[in-house]
Amino acid sequence: MSVATATSDRAPISATVLRVLRRNAWLLGLVVLLAAMLLLTRIIQPTYGAAGIDSLARAALPIAFAAVAQAVVVIAGGIDLSVGSMMALTNVAAASMMHRQGEEFGVVAVVLTLILGIALGITNGVLVVVTRVPDIVVTLALSFVWAGAALLVLNTPGGGAAQWLKDLPVGGVFTEWVPSAMVLLLVCVGAVWLPLRRRRSGLALYAVGSDRLAAFRSGVPIARTKVLSYALCGLFSAMGGLALSAATGIGTPTPGPYTLLSVAAIVLGGVSLAGGRGGLLGCIIAVLILRLVRTDLTFLGVDPNYATVIEGLIMVAVVMVGAVVALRRKPA
Amino acid sequence: MNHSARRVLSGFGVAVMATALALPVAAQDSATYHIGASNTLQGNGWREEMICSIKAQALSSGQVSQLTVAHRNTDAAGQISDLNDLINAGVQAIIVNPVSPDALNDVIKQATDAGIVVVAVDLAVTEPSAYLFSNNQEEYGYVGAKWLFEKLGGEGAVFYMRGAAGTSADTDRDTGFRRAMAEYPGITLAGEVFTGWDIAQGAQQINEFLASGVPFDGIWTSGIDSTIVDALVTAGAPLVPVVGADNAGFVEQLATIEGLEGAAVTNPGSVGGAGVTMALRVLAGEEVERQVLITPEVWDNTTPEGQAAIAAANDPAIDGTWPLGISIPDWTTYTKDEIIACAGPGE
Repeated sequence: MSVATATSDRAPISATVLRVLRRNAWLLGLVVLLAAMLLLTRIIQPTYGAAGIDSLARAALPIAFAAVAQAVVVIAGGIDLSVGSMMALTNVAAASMMHRQGEEFGVVAVVLTLILGIALGITNGVLVVVTRVPDIVVTLALSFVWAGAALLVLNTPGGGAAQWLKDLPVGGVFTEWVPSAMVLLLVCVGAVWLPLRRRRSGLALYAVGSDRLAAFRSGVPIARTKVLSYALCGLFSAMGGLALSAATGIGTPTPGPYTLLSVAAIVLGGVSLAGGRGGLLGCIIAVLILRLVRTDLTFLGVDPNYATVIEGLIMVAVVMVGAVVALRRKPA
Repeated sequence: MNHSARRVLSGFGVAVMATALALPVAAQDSATYHIGASNTLQGNGWREEMICSIKAQALSSGQVSQLTVAHRNTDAAGQISDLNDLINAGVQAIIVNPVSPDALNDVIKQATDAGIVVVAVDLAVTEPSAYLFSNNQEEYGYVGAKWLFEKLGGEGAVFYMRGAAGTSADTDRDTGFRRAMAEYPGITLAGEVFTGWDIAQGAQQINEFLASGVPFDGIWTSGIDSTIVDALVTAGAPLVPVVGADNAGFVEQLATIEGLEGAAVTNPGSVGGAGVTMALRVLAGEEVERQVLITPEVWDNTTPEGQAAIAAANDPAIDGTWPLGISIPDWTTYTKDEIIACAGPGE
């Protein structure tokens, strides 16, 4: 309180800073929480250092792509329950294409996998728009289709991955303290999202998500925007599938827990499930926090059955704190 | 306001310092081992027994000061991050039930390069620096199927209830099952389903199958067994020969249900505890075989030898979903009470 009055008296620059801080309060809170968690981890496990950060970033990579994929759809007012299945399908598609193939062909396989992801996403989106069946039903149904298709591609874990793909997220950039996996994630997400966000189509995602009718009356193409959001979701899911390829070196046809994790991460990351609000950076930090909670529970030797409960409780607590903060702010 | 905040902060600081000091001291006091374990399926009787046998053996050995268990439902990428956590926790050995034979190779190599002993249990990994203590899953599929086909006189339709689609334990068992089928050309499949090793799912599938009216002469199950017998009894369906695992509930049925002919194929979950012993022997510098494979036995309630094995093994004290192979001679030293108590060092 006293800080606020002091700064606003002095210069408009600090007021701008304050406004930016307030607007990104949730993001800032997440950063502080992540820093606190890292400190706590260091206290629990004094040897936790660069190697730990590196494995954290690598563990977060597929989940972060899943979270980003989910976030785009939710921002545009939908939800995609087929993220995990799309990751499994793109993962096995990439693995079977790269099996016993040269390193150069790996590039082709990666491009084809990304295209496959976009195609799966467009299918989701078009069905949602055309049938007018709720997003949750369409994507749940298609999640079984994609999971079944994954088993048709590979009926058991197998296939391969190009060595360069496996090496991409390993190690650090310049220093071991900056994990390549994190840089890779930010570059991939940034390359798609940053150019889009300031454009008409990027703004349309938020507009459709926050108020469909208002967006429609303002001339925003609803159907096209919805399909775009699902296509982006498919693209990021394919990146997640490729991240699984890079981590495991093979394809696994059974979907991992990524759909649920993606929803958890975006909620913690500050994306409103009602649509129209939130960003992608918060989701990525949320994934790191959730991973770190799991690591700490392992370090502490907490009974695994309780650990799952604790993870859930932490999620609920954080979201409730967030809701209280949001409610307090509204009257002012 | 300021004062109290400072007091809270200093209190926190003291707590932090106390924790930071206490942990390393505890580790140094006992000159014994810190062992890690990783498993990717919760709520399954076989896996729970495996975890309990790891805990019981770590305690019983007296050589383990700390056991860190990463036991949760996750996929290959999740297990890789669990293994990385165990490496970062500073363990000297890791017992891992691998989610797939190939997916973990890089992180296992990383562990063994750092001098950590890695023992895979239940399923092999293709990384050559790891040790293996496992049940032979292909043989498991083969011997049970062969018994069933023999029992049916080489003619008939079998309902084939597999495990989880896309897992290598299931595909290995399938390889064995198909090998036996090739030897008995008169055998056909009345149906084929994946139970996912899930009791509820298996129950639904057998009930749907019975309702469909498709004729069948025998059932082969991949471990969801007592549920299937229960369904046959409840529906008043003919008690055809059933093959299952050595799960306590199924073995009890083989011993007690009138008119039920069947065989239990052994698949002990105590390979986990045996893996701990294997790791401790390697750490002690002993010569240890790289691979120990347990050949499954068939306990068949239609022969005197099989009946004797069933009578000897049947034990109502053990949870119905746990396999009866709670110990492995020469490899586990804990008692039955200790594995049922499921307590590790420091618990």
